[in-house]
Amino acid sequence: MWRPRIYRWAAVSACIAVACLSGCYGIIDGPSREASATQQVRIDGFPRLSHAQWELTVGDLFGLDSTAGLARSFASDPLGGKAFDNDYAVLDVGSSLFADYQLAAESLAEQVTSEPALLARLLPPTLPSDPEARRRAFLETFGQRALRRPLLKAEVDARLLLFAQGAALYSELDPFLAGVRVSVAAFLQSPHFIYRVEAVGHSASGEPEPLDGWQIASRLSYAIWNSMPDQELFRAAAAGELMTPQGVHTQVERMLEAPRTRVAVGRFFDQLYQANQYEHLSKSPTLYPAFVPQLGTEMRTELTKFVQNIYDESGGLRQLLTSTTSFVTPGLASIYGLAPSALATSDAEGFSRVQLDPGQRAGLLTLSGFLAWKATDSQPNTIQRGVFIMRRIICQALGSPPPTAQGASLGGQPTDRQRIDALTGPGTCGAGCHGQYINPAGFAFEHFGALGEYRTSDAGNPVDSAAALPFESGSIAYHDAGELSRALADSPQAHACFAGYLLEYLAGREVVASDAPLVAKLAQTSLGGASTRQLLATVLESEALRQPLATKEQP
Amino acid sequence: MNRRRFLWGAGGACVALPFLEALRPASAGASDAVLPFAIFVRQGNGVQQATVDGEPERFWPSFAPGPMTRETLAADAGRAVSELADHAADLTFVRGIRFNDPVNACKHSGGGNQVLTAARASADDCNATLALGESLDSRIAALGGPGGEPLTLYAGIKTGYLDEVLSYRGPRQLRAAERSPFAAYQGLFGLSKLPPAELSSLLQRRKSVNDLVRGELQQLLAGRELSKADRDRLDLHFSSIRDLENGMACSMSDAEITNLQTGSSALDDDDTIENIVKLHCDVIALAVACGSKRAATLQIGCGPDQTRYHVDGVKQASFHEISHRGGVAGAVDLHHQIDRKLLQLYKYLLDKLAEHRLPEGTLLNRGVTVYLNDLGNKFHDYENVPYLVAGSAGGFLRTGNYLDVGGVANNKILNTLGAAVGCTNAAGAALDDFGDPTLEKGLLDAMLVHRM
Repeated sequence: MWRPRIYRWAAVSACIAVACLSGCYGIIDGPSREASATQQVRIDGFPRLSHAQWELTVGDLFGLDSTAGLARSFASDPLGGKAFDNDYAVLDVGSSLFADYQLAAESLAEQVTSEPALLARLLPPTLPSDPEARRRAFLETFGQRALRRPLLKAEVDARLLLFAQGAALYSELDPFLAGVRVSVAAFLQSPHFIYRVEAVGHSASGEPEPLDGWQIASRLSYAIWNSMPDQELFRAAAAGELMTPQGVHTQVERMLEAPRTRVAVGRFFDQLYQANQYEHLSKSPTLYPAFVPQLGTEMRTELTKFVQNIYDESGGLRQLLTSTTSFVTPGLASIYGLAPSALATSDAEGFSRVQLDPGQRAGLLTLSGFLAWKATDSQPNTIQRGVFIMRRIICQALGSPPPTAQGASLGGQPTDRQRIDALTGPGTCGAGCHGQYINPAGFAFEHFGALGEYRTSDAGNPVDSAAALPFESGSIAYHDAGELSRALADSPQAHACFAGYLLEYLAGREVVASDAPLVAKLAQTSLGGASTRQLLATVLESEALRQPLATKEQP
Repeated sequence: MNRRRFLWGAGGACVALPFLEALRPASAGASDAVLPFAIFVRQGNGVQQATVDGEPERFWPSFAPGPMTRETLAADAGRAVSELADHAADLTFVRGIRFNDPVNACKHSGGGNQVLTAARASADDCNATLALGESLDSRIAALGGPGGEPLTLYAGIKTGYLDEVLSYRGPRQLRAAERSPFAAYQGLFGLSKLPPAELSSLLQRRKSVNDLVRGELQQLLAGRELSKADRDRLDLHFSSIRDLENGMACSMSDAEITNLQTGSSALDDDDTIENIVKLHCDVIALAVACGSKRAATLQIGCGPDQTRYHVDGVKQASFHEISHRGGVAGAVDLHHQIDRKLLQLYKYLLDKLAEHRLPEGTLLNRGVTVYLNDLGNKFHDYENVPYLVAGSAGGFLRTGNYLDVGGVANNKILNTLGAAVGCTNAAGAALDDFGDPTLEKGLLDAMLVHRM
């Protein structure tokens, strides 16, 4: 089962303590090293837009044909070990990012007030002739979209004062245009734009009040599209439709059909499986003379196309772990042993749909990107492959190797498996975590070399990829990566892990104890064959996405 | 439009100045603004030093702890620290520092949590652990100097696994680091070459918007029952609003700015990391010379630095792999060579600071410039973690010394460094209680000119 991080940490401590004695599984209950929480309920109500969200939001807000690209140079966020870039806990505004926002706002304000077509998109269809009414109409219309809710009268009044200063601040511009420019710059620097403000009050009983329709609209939109609500979502919010489960259901169904939902699905998997790392591969020119860094980029795109195809075909985690349908360029085809000349018609990005050899591969863990990333220049990195499966596929907490194991060198044994076994296998101090868990998971991929190519021998010896992994339901033996992947697809642990990560991404926060029922439900339905689309709908329509996030604090 | 380009465009024509000329503060008497500063340069993955399983000592001096000179250090050519021989008179090597909190699932994360905080680490999962205290650069920046926030820089690829590790605003508040030297420069000095009238207009426009934003933030801070995390978040945002950038009197020459901009265009490339480090050093040197910042950190590589450095002209395996020795031929020697390479980059910064003269001596000796590591050795343990200190902080610290303090928790060296640049405890005395409050208080007397 998925466990909130505090419980997973407990497992970590156990692993450290017993690394040389036993294994890594098992939950050890015990006190946290930090002070335990108390009872005062506070509301966490200021999720900051991630840089990707900021970029997409300004693109939608101004109707830009392509995103502005400004966020690429923003001070990057320290993820501090978080899996996803939208994790609320680590997103704040320091002086560097404040300066970035300021410059970007000024730049965009200048751009959209310099191009008539862009300016027209900011203004209401009919502008009153009275100057005061014109200003107010602009502020109310644009402000509602920028702040993702109607402005309060006091907010409009305050912005009218700034608007009026525009003529003096931009004396070279028409006064109305000057007011628009300074106002746009101010909207983009407003905390109500930078944060998805969800501050709510408390009821008489002390419970947090529910989110309103506008806040729910933003929750849904940022969860799945990573951007601001569209016009229909705003309409539904204004009509009060998002305050009912049926209203939310209607919108979720519509949103999941939108083409950009596929993009969001790709983004989730890209981050979950750290595919950005494929961009930094390097391989031995002696062993892999055809390798060029561009292949890493193609591997990353392959993963995106792979998961999007499964989404399109109503597949779920089971298919992700077992499908042999992928998308390759001529360069990738060579890795898979496919003749580039035999590839079918390619798409606009130069990728062709192919069937990989089911005798060799099954699912995303046998795609070239993962295998090449978890490898050195010339050898598979069996331990790292195993660690990745523990951490990102079945959410098994792992500790550090004991001090006496770290820094130890691989020996001179002929095969990779022999070297790994000699260093960390049975009879060594690594027998606990490595011998029982990490190494068996990694050994399943012994058939794949440092670029992800299939191999039958290692240094002249037949490859041995057979092993057994102790799942919670008991030890499962397998002969190769395909069998391990299918075992994972049948494993409640993998589905619970996947469910937890999916909720973490969509909610933009760490999974907490109160999420346990939802995660259990997701895991169960995923194990039963639910598609990723169904899981998305379940999360998006859940209470977790419609309730404020309550935190208990010391009074 | 790229915002860096936007600002550079806004900067207009620049007057070329040689580096040292540019370093010189523009206004008369401005050198008084150079308050004692602290710079921290971080290497990851431990250093190649002697270990219990018999790896040879190739980092620390071969001579016994005590005074050292350029000659004695240069003669110790087999040791990595000999790379710093030119600055021997201004150096203090501190051996025998340890991190106090051993209970971390992931050593890289836990080491990063502690190296500049001496705080305990949180109980999160493995690489998600965070420091439960502020880092020393934050404490120094908060002394009331002109910068407020420390300068926080990063060189190398971000892996998404464990990136920034060094600088904390407070418990769990890991600070984002700027990767681009050009962006860092622009943030500090980007407006310095605007014509006065243009600058005045820009600042007036910004002030008008800032006033509105401040008002909104104040309303949010006042009107709701905020969680502590949200209050901290909004407070930080509020305090980050600047009406006027500091240090605007200083600037680099056109050629240097172009060099910064060009060099900053390839941040995701292992082949450029050494150049990026140098460019960051240029910005740091300018920032402290102009009194714009009193504290700076430069993190080289991600938590488990995975940079593939060039050694002897050959691009090597990931430094992290080398540091673990696993499967990399000649890993011990490669680790040593990478130690040397990174110390050469540290020396580049020391050279910059030593070139710049102040009335009372060099800029280097106005503050402290510390080379540190968030791990000890190939075991990635927390014992004998290197802290190499340059500069006397205006005569506060003894220099020209190699010390072995024999296993002291790192809070004491952080106390010493903090006190050297003016930090105090709650009673107004020299800082002696930084970090985990359960640790023994005090300074490292052997580092001090006058014992406390």
